[in-house]
Amino acid sequence: MSNKAARNLFIFGSLFFFVILVILTFDTLAKLPKRAPEITEEVNAGKMVWHKYDCIGCHTILGNGSYFAPDMTKVTERKPKEYLKQFLMDPKSVNPKASMPKFGITSEEAEKLIAFLDWISKVDTNGWPPKPILATAAGVAGRELTSGQRLYQSLGCSNCHMINGIGGTTGPDLTHVGSKKDRVWLFGHFKDPKAYVPNSVMPGFGHLSEQELNDLTDYMIALK
Amino acid sequence: MTIKHESQKIAQNFYTFAVLLFLVQVAIGIIAAIQFIKPDFFILNFNIIRSLHINALVVWLLVGLMGATYYVVPEESETELWSIPLAKFQFWATVIAVTAVVLGYIWMGLNPQANTLVFGTRLLNEGREYIEAPRWADILIVVSVLVFLLNNFMTMLKTKKWTGIQGTLLGGLTFLALMYLPGMFYTQSMVKDQFWWWWVVHLWVEGSWEVIAGALLAFMLMKVTGVKREVVEKWMYIEVGLVLFTGILGLGHHYYWIGTPGYWLWVGGIFSALEPVPLLVMVWDAFRTTREARVVTNKAGLYYTVAHAIFNFVGAGLWGVIHTLPQVNKWTHGTQITTAHGHLAFYGAYVLLILSMIYVTLPAIRGVKEYNQSRAFLSFWWMTISMIFIVLTITGAGMVQTYMERLMGLDYVAVKTTYNMWFWILRAIFGVGFLIGVGIFVKDYFKIGKEPVPAVSPAAEKA
Ligand code: HEC
Ligand code: HEC
Ligand code: HEM
Ligand code: HEM
Ligand SMILES: [Fe+2]
Repeated sequence: MSNKAARNLFIFGSLFFFVILVILTFDTLAKLPKRAPEITEEVNAGKMVWHKYDCIGCHTILGNGSYFAPDMTKVTERKPKEYLKQFLMDPKSVNPKASMPKFGITSEEAEKLIAFLDWISKVDTNGWPPKPILATAAGVAGRELTSGQRLYQSLGCSNCHMINGIGGTTGPDLTHVGSKKDRVWLFGHFKDPKAYVPNSVMPGFGHLSEQELNDLTDYMIALK
Repeated sequence: MTIKHESQKIAQNFYTFAVLLFLVQVAIGIIAAIQFIKPDFFILNFNIIRSLHINALVVWLLVGLMGATYYVVPEESETELWSIPLAKFQFWATVIAVTAVVLGYIWMGLNPQANTLVFGTRLLNEGREYIEAPRWADILIVVSVLVFLLNNFMTMLKTKKWTGIQGTLLGGLTFLALMYLPGMFYTQSMVKDQFWWWWVVHLWVEGSWEVIAGALLAFMLMKVTGVKREVVEKWMYIEVGLVLFTGILGLGHHYYWIGTPGYWLWVGGIFSALEPVPLLVMVWDAFRTTREARVVTNKAGLYYTVAHAIFNFVGAGLWGVIHTLPQVNKWTHGTQITTAHGHLAFYGAYVLLILSMIYVTLPAIRGVKEYNQSRAFLSFWWMTISMIFIVLTITGAGMVQTYMERLMGLDYVAVKTTYNMWFWILRAIFGVGFLIGVGIFVKDYFKIGKEPVPAVSPAAEKA
């Protein structure tokens, strides 16, 4: 191959692939609106707040960004809005061990952010983030669960709490909670956490039946 | 070795600024590494430190590329630069703009509320990774790059010697300038935001920058080993051609999970898996040329050039391809595996590229034939061994994270603060090793050509 032929191959070959990229780009942009909910004023305002505080400098979103803090793609599915709002405004008031700084986010800004994060959680991401396969497998093969344990799983307590190293870190570790709290406290706290811990962001479970609350309490007491 | 055209000396201004920023970038990297262990270690939060680290990196690489171009173009065109005052102006404008942006980040770090909206854009920080620089700075950057391109283009027009090397170099630089534009407008959708953001980031490092690297590799091999231009230029066309044939559609490896259609899994998977091929051809090219070389006086220059080719392949090619298929990327996306790849790729492909350009051209600029090369080898090994260990450490952290968080479903923070703690500590330690290497390099940079050459041959002294 002569140098001239090699050069022409380089130039025209590259242009060819660039044209394909442009075509795919048009096609993708046309398909995007159907793959996500409509963008409201509030969602866009939330995105602006996201940029203002440079959240991407610590977090990933849709898996891109920095790897210093948890991914934000599905956070509104894991955590209730009340909790998120208070965390954003003052992380340490929710979790004394939090290392996310307090930026001075106002209550309106926090609401906009949550609307934005809620929008993100509904984007069709081709199934990302994937469900942890080993955890699912362990659940199937696991022993018979008590009804308290089953409630613990279905109510999403482990999004916030950890037992024996498994679960979230934003609420207190429950591995030994049975030796710290008594039955009355636990039962009452489930019904109305704020009555026991002022400013608690744990959601109340007063809508559960007496039986279910007793089962949960039994499970907690067993954790010594 | 001396320069043929007085104006090539302007390269040195750019090199000096680049080298100093390199030192700052790495020192800041160590602060970032310590914040993984102790988050409130420094007055500035992690996000500000990280922005400084990666922006300093990108800026010093670009400034180094500009210096290298101001050296190569007069040499290839066989004439003086079109306008030295314009080049000097462009240099100082860049220094001032960069300083202003850095001060802005620090201000925002001290007072987050200062990042207000001005004319619909952020005053201090755009809040988008790598392109954090606010819009007013974007515009200054574009102007600076246009002035730079104009100056070089006019120089080429003076003699119209359209060599393949300078044509490819200028083509790559123009592509680079154009690919900054997709990052310069606001979109309401985060999906579109990331879509265009990746045009900038991916089409830079896996498109235009690799084209520039191909051209500079050809230039350095020709200068250091004295091989024939026809041969290096032919292989250069093949390399940069393959880079773009695979790299342009390889962009799809960032469109798997951000809300874009499913066909990108096929497009991105197939094309990006081929991206290591041209990088391997570059390694082969460097070895073949080196074997044919008879007399090489600038051994350090050649050493860095070959190392650049090798680590470009290892960091970008190998550490890229391991997580590029959608079946793997589904689990590793956005973990420390990405950080490991980012470090080795940037180090191998671009840090070593600029350092080898400095070692190939600086002796001529300073007007010396020989110089004490022992420090060049010493800094190379301090930096390279430390970087390899940083990358292995972080690859380990990434594997633990992928397994425990993504496969077992443990909490992100739990994995980060317990299981991975030792990896963070080791990274910080190896980071200090890297900083020592950079320190030796910076000292060498200022000493080359300014101290007597030792009597022993530098090659013997290396051992
Ligand atoms: C300096 C780094 C940093 C910045 C900047 C930052 N965060 Fe965080 N964030 C963290 C860390 C670290 C955590 C994990 C919990 C902890 O240790 O505080 C976290 C946790 C969170 C959580 C709770 C996640 C959960 O599952 O409980 C939310 C929500 C959140 N961040 C949102 C944001 C938003 C929105 C922004 C921008 C306004 C932001 N963060 C900016 C570091 C940061
Ligand atoms: C959104 C996060 C969140 C969820 C979901 C949640 N909690 Fe909590 N929980 C907290 C926080 C924060 C505290 C600390 C404040 C308090 O005691 O109210 C807490 C406290 C507790 C305590 C007291 C622990 C102690 O040592 O003081 C128990 C027990 C408890 N939670 C159990 C549960 C159970 C069982 C569930 C599921 C039915 C659950 N939590 C769901 C956040 C949560
Ligand atoms: C010199 C060339 C390259 C450089 C400098 C480079 C650098 C980077 C960086 C910095 C990131 C992280 C971006 C972010 O912050 O989100 C990244 C991501 C990525 N790179 Fe590269 N890269 C190069 C070449 C390659 C090649 C050749 C491949 C594939 C063969 C590749 C595959 C990937 C993939 C798959 C990701 C996404 C990781 C994720 O999903 O989190 N890279 N690259
Ligand atoms: C020439 C050397 C270096 C280069 C080219 C480099 C490059 C980069 C890049 C591209 C990123 C963004 C990462 C990504 O998105 O994948 C980054 C982040 C980072 N760098 Fe460096 N870096 C270098 C040296 C160092 C050193 C010596 C340290 C300290 C030990 C360090 C610590 C960090 C840390 C802690 C982050 C944040 C990573 C994260 O978000 O998880 N870097 N660096
Ligand atoms: Fe890429």
